[in-house]
Amino acid sequence: MLLWIILLIVLWEIFASVVTQTKRTPENVMPHLSGVIDSIFSDKRINGSQTAFEMIIENAGATLSRAGIGYLIGIALGFVLALLMSLSGVIEKIAFPYLMLIQLIPILGMAPIINAITGDIAVSRIVIAAILTFYPVATNTIAGFKAVEPAKHELMYSYAASKFQIYTKTMIPFCIPYLFTGLKISAPMAITASILVDTLQGGIGLGCLLSQSLKGAMTRYVFWDIVFFSAFIGILSFYLMSVIENLLCRYKRAGGSGKKG
Amino acid sequence: MRGLKKGSLSQQRDKIESIVYPVLFGVLIMILWQTGVLHKMLNTDDYILPYPDKIVGIISDNSDMIMVNVWASVEVALCGLFLGSLIGYIIAIAATSFPTYGTGGLTIVSAFNAVPIVALAPVIINWTKDVSSVAEERSMVAKILVVTVTSMASMSVNAYRGLTELPPFSDDLMKTYAAGRLTEFVKLRLPNSVPYIFTALRVSVPGSVIGALVSEYFAEYIVGVGRQIRENILIAQYATAWAYIIVACMIGIMLYAMLMIAEAVFLRKRR
Repeated sequence: MLLWIILLIVLWEIFASVVTQTKRTPENVMPHLSGVIDSIFSDKRINGSQTAFEMIIENAGATLSRAGIGYLIGIALGFVLALLMSLSGVIEKIAFPYLMLIQLIPILGMAPIINAITGDIAVSRIVIAAILTFYPVATNTIAGFKAVEPAKHELMYSYAASKFQIYTKTMIPFCIPYLFTGLKISAPMAITASILVDTLQGGIGLGCLLSQSLKGAMTRYVFWDIVFFSAFIGILSFYLMSVIENLLCRYKRAGGSGKKG
Repeated sequence: MRGLKKGSLSQQRDKIESIVYPVLFGVLIMILWQTGVLHKMLNTDDYILPYPDKIVGIISDNSDMIMVNVWASVEVALCGLFLGSLIGYIIAIAATSFPTYGTGGLTIVSAFNAVPIVALAPVIINWTKDVSSVAEERSMVAKILVVTVTSMASMSVNAYRGLTELPPFSDDLMKTYAAGRLTEFVKLRLPNSVPYIFTALRVSVPGSVIGALVSEYFAEYIVGVGRQIRENILIAQYATAWAYIIVACMIGIMLYAMLMIAEAVFLRKRR
């Protein structure tokens, strides 16, 4: 994998050199990576008061915090819906086709109208991130509930376990890996949604900064900084979920065997 | 549904219920929407969220205009999907043939999947400025490339599984037949990967529609369903914007339905 990363960097630099030779404004098309890194750490003030680094951190805070809130709301709603669907046959029958349908609807395309309905860019970021998180979590969790082996149900039944105990002791622990599949899919999506909503309206946020830089309101390197930063955050969010999953599941396994012994 | 008699099996009742309940729910939502209750719940007015009959009226009045934009978006989604899936499959073949370096490449490709489209689209539009002197053409190329990159990952990861997760001992059997690597590939690995291709497409078909709509936001040339949603909201034509939203949803559903039909045809032949 390291080899591939090096290969990618080399390829980028080769193209960047070609672009530098042939274009009048190479930083608009493909700047050298060194230039991008320089621009992050340079202490030149870009908008009068902030350096590129400070500016990106401030705007990223606004974007990511809302993506995060939306993500958490989406997880909670998705999990509760999955729970309700598994508890009640009627709710499952009503919700299941709509869960399938919502995956086919381009929610990101609806971003402008959600912005118009909520009237507040901060709220619409949260709403869209929540919607995008909600359905992968719900569908994967319900798949997890369905995958519990009948033998486990029979065992719990023979213990005269209550419905509450069946859920807390078998169903919910069992569906955790499925839940995380949903979380891994939706983490980069929530961030994408939040940045996209930023681009719709002025104010504060990574997407807003991105479109300002594209329009030439500030140096083009800010655009590249944001591109690399959001790519990095997107990938990081995916791996963060994998790490949390590994931590949680190891704990579950150890705890489970401990009780049995 | 009409053919079923009273006292039919509970399985059949289950089936009817799983159609009737969601339809009833949908009708309920439509009634709430048309009567304005939904507006009160969402705290909005019929200007931002027009009544369904008005939206349907706009779709039928502007069908010519809408179809132009639909084709622009569908063309981008399908071309990008095809290219991306093809490249993804080739990457999977390469990773199967040279596992030492290939699997690392797969990790990189799936990391690309986590890169937000919002960051990707302006970059690719920048790179394709010289492709053509006509704004319409170079926007098209850029949008197709965005969809290509987004649909590459799911195909390469799934196809790799299809090419490597073989039935037990099947590759040993091929060896006892003294089959070469090419024969093994054509007779065993390729057919084995077909269901996995469909698994990948189930993810990337809806993804390609989203990719097409979002890349339109950043493109130079103003065309496509996604762009029309945004442009109409900018000039406060909410009813028209809603018409395009409904159309966008229809595109997503239609493409997925076509995939389901293709899957039924292809996978039945195999069995």
